[in-house]
Amino acid sequence: MEVLKGEEVDRVPCFSGMGNVTVEGMKKHNIRFAEVHGNARDMATLAASTYKLFGYECAVAPFDLCIEAEALGSEINYYEHVEDNILYPTIKTKLVKAGEDIEIPEDLEKRGRIPMLQEVIGHLKDDVGDQVAIGSYVLGPFTLAGQIMDLNELLKISFKRPEDINRILTDLAEVIARVAKALKDAGADYITIREMGAPADVISPRMFKSLVQPPLTEAISRIDSPKILHICGNTNPIVELMAECGADALAVEQKNDVAETRKKLGEDAVILGNIDPYNVLVQGTKEDVEAAVKTAIEKGVDGVMPGCDIWPDVPAENMQALVEATKRYGNTS
Amino acid sequence: MADDGRKKELIETLKKGVIEYDEDLVKETAQKYLDEGFDANEGIFDGLAAGMEVVGDLFAKSEYFVPEVLMSADALYAGLDILKPHVKTKDRDQKVKGEVVIGTVEGDVHDIGKNIVKLMFDVAGFTVHDLGKDVPLDRFVEEQMKTDSDLVCLSAMMTTTMVGMKKVIEKIKAKNPNVKILIGGAPVSKDIADKWGADGYGEDASNALTEAIRMVSALREMKQKGEV
Repeated sequence: MEVLKGEEVDRVPCFSGMGNVTVEGMKKHNIRFAEVHGNARDMATLAASTYKLFGYECAVAPFDLCIEAEALGSEINYYEHVEDNILYPTIKTKLVKAGEDIEIPEDLEKRGRIPMLQEVIGHLKDDVGDQVAIGSYVLGPFTLAGQIMDLNELLKISFKRPEDINRILTDLAEVIARVAKALKDAGADYITIREMGAPADVISPRMFKSLVQPPLTEAISRIDSPKILHICGNTNPIVELMAECGADALAVEQKNDVAETRKKLGEDAVILGNIDPYNVLVQGTKEDVEAAVKTAIEKGVDGVMPGCDIWPDVPAENMQALVEATKRYGNTS
Repeated sequence: MADDGRKKELIETLKKGVIEYDEDLVKETAQKYLDEGFDANEGIFDGLAAGMEVVGDLFAKSEYFVPEVLMSADALYAGLDILKPHVKTKDRDQKVKGEVVIGTVEGDVHDIGKNIVKLMFDVAGFTVHDLGKDVPLDRFVEEQMKTDSDLVCLSAMMTTTMVGMKKVIEKIKAKNPNVKILIGGAPVSKDIADKWGADGYGEDASNALTEAIRMVSALREMKQKGEV
């Protein structure tokens, strides 16, 4: 938490603003991933398990990206019928036609799984809140737009009729701010804003600046918690624009050249990242993980964080290596 | 010949229309091109597909981004819809013939990469059986059996969904070892493709777009050499 406030710390922390459940945790507590998303007690147990098993320095809920869209009225597929595969919930049918305005329900905070998620955060507070920070997340406006309307169409209309999209994103910024407040009220210590739909390998930095940045900045300014802005994919051409959005910290993935980002943003910027969650954490050896942590710290991250959700199938020894290596290489004093 | 000059001019306009994602220009030009009696197949490959090739380069150079690629794809389809029915049977017979099953695996609702790969097959004259996105694994196996397709293309953009591809490959190969399987999407590597027994792969999400467009180029080259 001190890191997010820009204060001095003894050591770089190892945590995430995004999902970090593991198959190890599921096995230990005998919880099926497909059934956890609506069960506050199990979700809290699983969210705390990564800390308890590996010393990972946070507990984060939810695990999927559908909370806001569901509260707005989207139907969600939890894949409860899928037996031997871990699948994240997805949205079954798009809520609105691309380019159409949305209606924000008055009782937004009481809809979908938001009350359940608040309960989860409460359980986490009681369980491990005195030991680690409790995190939660919301989507950025552009990414949320991609959840409630057809993504192909969203991208094209963003180009052809940006004013229509701008109007929708402004409404979605309101939705996001309200959801974030509900999470904070429930006890979340920090909030990550995940604008994963807008890296420079999807849209141009030009479009990021004109279309994505204004509502994103608006949403962030209205979130009254320590907050992290996370974008995965190629963020090199947009880190300065990301910094302008006003979050306390930026989180980036392995495609980001952290040393260069540090140079662009200066010493005071808080940069989190950028461990490859699949090729290093899942596919790599424990030595690969150690090397990646060492490199990330040398290049200047203030917190060691995977580039995206931890893929649950991460081997236990790699999770241990992630935490241990951060302790070994992360001394700042 | 004056005719040749005119044909070239129209082909260039088709190409430009795709590059500048100008659907109307492509439609209008494709119609003129047919009305003036030129060969549809050349219009598709040297005009539309050549334009898409340039789009691929622009995308690789970060001058174009996904929205531009999608709009160019729309422009290409607008032209393809007009030209394709007029491709001479002789050409059709000479082409890499085949049927392909394509889709994004269950758990994944991203279909941009898949759609661009599909476009490549449409251009090449394949019969495409598009299962869409979030497709249960057994559907691929069933559809391949039903259509007796030569090729199956599996796409997954999210890491978590890609293990599903392994199962589909196993099931299809068990029933019919001759089917060629291509996999693509975010985390797929050559290593993984080999390990799982896939016959081809496209590296990551943005590479998949570039790769798919490159496949169009490869087809054009083969055609120029008279191999197809």
